Amino acid sequence: MDSLYLAWRYLSFYKVRSFILIGCITVIAALPLALEILVNESERQLSLRAESTPLLIGAKGSALDLVMNSLYFSDATPEPITMAAVDQILESDLASPIPLLIRYRTRTFPIVGTTLDYLDFRQLEIKNGNPFSLLGQCLVGAEIARQLDLGPGDHLTSSPEAMFDIAGVYPLKMRISGVLAETNSADDRAVFVDIRTAWIISGLGHGHTDLAKSTDESVILKREAGQVTANAKLMQYNEITEDNIDRFHLHGDPATFPITAVLALPHDEKSGTILQGRYLDQDSNYQIVTPAKVVDSLLANIFRIRNVLDAVILMVGTATLMALVLVFSLSLRLRSKEMETIFKIGSSRATISRLLGAEITIIGCLSGLLCLIIMLLLNHYDVELVRRLFI
Amino acid sequence: MNTRMSLYVLPAITTLTLLFSANCLAGKPLKVYTVNYPLAYFSERIGGEFVDVVFPAPADVDPAFWTPDEETIGGYQKADLIIINGAGYAKWTQKVSLPLMRQVNTSKSFKDEYISIETNVTHRHGPEGDHSHAGTAFTTWLDLSLASRQAEAIYKALSSKLTDQKSIVQKNFEALKTDLLHLDEQLQDLGDKKPALPLLGSHPIYQYLARGYGLNISMVMWEPDEDPGEQQWRNLQTFVEDHATSWMLWEDSPRPESVNRLEEMGIKSLVYSPCFNRPDEGDFLTVMQQNVDNLSIVFSGAD
Repeated sequence: MDSLYLAWRYLSFYKVRSFILIGCITVIAALPLALEILVNESERQLSLRAESTPLLIGAKGSALDLVMNSLYFSDATPEPITMAAVDQILESDLASPIPLLIRYRTRTFPIVGTTLDYLDFRQLEIKNGNPFSLLGQCLVGAEIARQLDLGPGDHLTSSPEAMFDIAGVYPLKMRISGVLAETNSADDRAVFVDIRTAWIISGLGHGHTDLAKSTDESVILKREAGQVTANAKLMQYNEITEDNIDRFHLHGDPATFPITAVLALPHDEKSGTILQGRYLDQDSNYQIVTPAKVVDSLLANIFRIRNVLDAVILMVGTATLMALVLVFSLSLRLRSKEMETIFKIGSSRATISRLLGAEITIIGCLSGLLCLIIMLLLNHYDVELVRRLFI
Repeated sequence: MNTRMSLYVLPAITTLTLLFSANCLAGKPLKVYTVNYPLAYFSERIGGEFVDVVFPAPADVDPAFWTPDEETIGGYQKADLIIINGAGYAKWTQKVSLPLMRQVNTSKSFKDEYISIETNVTHRHGPEGDHSHAGTAFTTWLDLSLASRQAEAIYKALSSKLTDQKSIVQKNFEALKTDLLHLDEQLQDLGDKKPALPLLGSHPIYQYLARGYGLNISMVMWEPDEDPGEQQWRNLQTFVEDHATSWMLWEDSPRPESVNRLEEMGIKSLVYSPCFNRPDEGDFLTVMQQNVDNLSIVFSGAD
């Protein structure tokens, strides 16, 4: 006990040195463990969502971008396809399609243009309010509602795609119809709107006063038989309300409108196989992917990177431990007079060894304790951390 | 769970959840929402006791131009099946969010046969405000062979959900199809009698009737309960001078004043109801039978 007390007093006296030693050992011990926890949680989250998503159809290109954008709403937007892809799947009677348009943002959060079927498919429950029912309404994820203190009846405005594009599309002020219950998934950090609302955000649809009845001639560019052309002065509505919803319209055939992906839910295994076969044609503009396979290949890469990281950590750890041994041996030299004094006042060499052993034990225990606290905290917040940092 | 298994098991569970709602599993009838009365009638006939058909439009409005309130839209969103007409009917369905997977577009199988209309004329009747009939003609069910194909789309949707009652549902559909095709046959016979006989339609809703049965119907934009105005009367007079016609088809009983003035011009009136809303008496078939009977007066007199 005396050795422990003396060692404690010694370490307390040299606070800075003791803290550095404890810090070094803690980092060396915690780093691989933390990496293990975060990688495992990333794997769990990625796999869970990917495995629950049977098939994904999008434009030919990066399968990873398609999966990351469609499942985790990442910033990398795949090339668009058209709504005709949804009609094709409906007509095939092999699967149920859910269109996705994930390109626009409100503040930093993704706007997911889809149909109500997405809520059923992901089994998303509405904690407060109702699903979006009219154009211009949105459902917000639990985390957004909490972070921005939003609820039904509040509004969110879509962000312009390019900040300095003054001739671009008007931002749309969306009324929040409801808040989703927490799911600990990417859905918590997304805003859901009807696919047609997403098209209005993209500028494919808009609402304005009836030109045929307009008395303001300054907004009219030309009048021809059965057709009135407005100029840029014509004010467009930036919010869809019950009063002006009839004035909103989409320009063109919805079948030609863009989406970023289609979630395809095959009716059975055979239908899934037939559907996949239909997109194997090299000339097809579409690719069909199984998200679980894409995520598996991503995880395989992550494992390879982790192995490299583990090797790096092992080398850095070895170097650090060697440095620590050096620090101890040098400190013993510096403390040679101190040791001599202890010896002269009657302590045996064994007591001096116990004293040094007690110092190392205390440093080791404190590092272990710190490491444990870090691991417990990491274990508690790993879901959130992975979602924010990696997915 | 390995990847291959999860690829199909998880969506299968989700699909099962979607297909067999709690109501169905509990033995309760399927909640079926429709956008007009003919589709409600077909659903009731085919689904029988196994469906709870809801057609929420008020009796005094044209469902094609009606817009439901948010509460009613919520009802549609929660329904097990949403039966829509297609062909641009009920434009409100394009402005609200309805689940795609639970929608049944009954005219999808003959979408290549839709009839396009070009007009920029708008008009107003009832509480729905101004509207135009430009775009696609939507009273598809007035061609009863198309109506039977719409009924078939409903049958397919219902039989995929009511798997245990499939044989009953099929029997109900066959009976309905027989009834519809019987009326269709009667109309075919009428059309064959005098295909060139010029007729006048009071509203632009008889396109599929005309095409389906080879009828020569020109259409104006009059309302049965409104005076069309002097300009319209003059237009009609001019039209009749070039296209001799002796019968006008009305969607509902016209005002006696209109009937009398038309008779002065040598045009008789008859009701050919599109039956887009639930009738006060009878049902879709009785209304259609009455339509056929009314039309047969024209053709029997025309000989």
